[in-house]
Amino acid sequence: MDITAKQVGSVAVVSIVGSVDALTAEQVTRFLGAELDKGNKHIVGDLSQVDFMSSAGLRAILMALKDSRQQGGDLRLGAAQPGVEKVLKMSGFTNILKTYPTVDEAVASFGS
Amino acid sequence: MKVNGERLVTETHQIARAAERESLADFRDLIESACQQHPAIDDAIRYDLKLAVDEACTNIITHGYAGMNPGSIILTLEVDPHQVVVMLADFGHAFEPSDAPAPDVQAGLEDRLMGGFGLFFIYRTMDEIRYEADEDGNRLTLVKRLQPLGTA
Repeated sequence: MDITAKQVGSVAVVSIVGSVDALTAEQVTRFLGAELDKGNKHIVGDLSQVDFMSSAGLRAILMALKDSRQQGGDLRLGAAQPGVEKVLKMSGFTNILKTYPTVDEAVASFGS
Repeated sequence: MKVNGERLVTETHQIARAAERESLADFRDLIESACQQHPAIDDAIRYDLKLAVDEACTNIITHGYAGMNPGSIILTLEVDPHQVVVMLADFGHAFEPSDAPAPDVQAGLEDRLMGGFGLFFIYRTMDEIRYEADEDGNRLTLVKRLQPLGTA
């Protein structure tokens, strides 16, 4: 699994490529934590190239979501593929965070 | 063997891997490659199977072999035109899946707990779950039906 970040205005777009499982979720937690530590409290998770996510991935998202909101920001997700989207829905995560069909829409939702 | 005049072909695949997180991708890859050739298994069913197997193996790695030298997990996959059956054998601590508490999927952000979703996903995605533990180890059987009973 690979992660990259790019800054789009005030929003950090974090793109994850590959599978987020119990092995790789720690990397996601650390990466998102580092973005928050840098002061990037508006984060979009680009899930367009995530082919698999387990409950370990949800845990990483939940931690970053809580931390970003504590800082007055938010973590929003874009372009989840059908399997990942089902995981987000089954767990009720779609009720506690905002998801968008595309990364561009997720970025635009911050109004920057 | 024939069922309803149709020849019943069952394919069996098996791999054994160390019970460690590095093995999770191998277990998922087996599901992916074994199921790809079957037209009755679409992307959604394949994802359900990979998710259930990944979560079950993660539980074995995290809890089953807790405090022990990690042993192995043996995954046996049987595919026939009507169902996919996954058997996971391990030699760690016994664990009764139905004892685990279910997560609250309605909980708001502040009340969200970190755990509990692994088993929840297994129950939500599989049609049948069986668990046996004896002196020969533990065996979890997951069944995903490829068409609802009675509609054939």
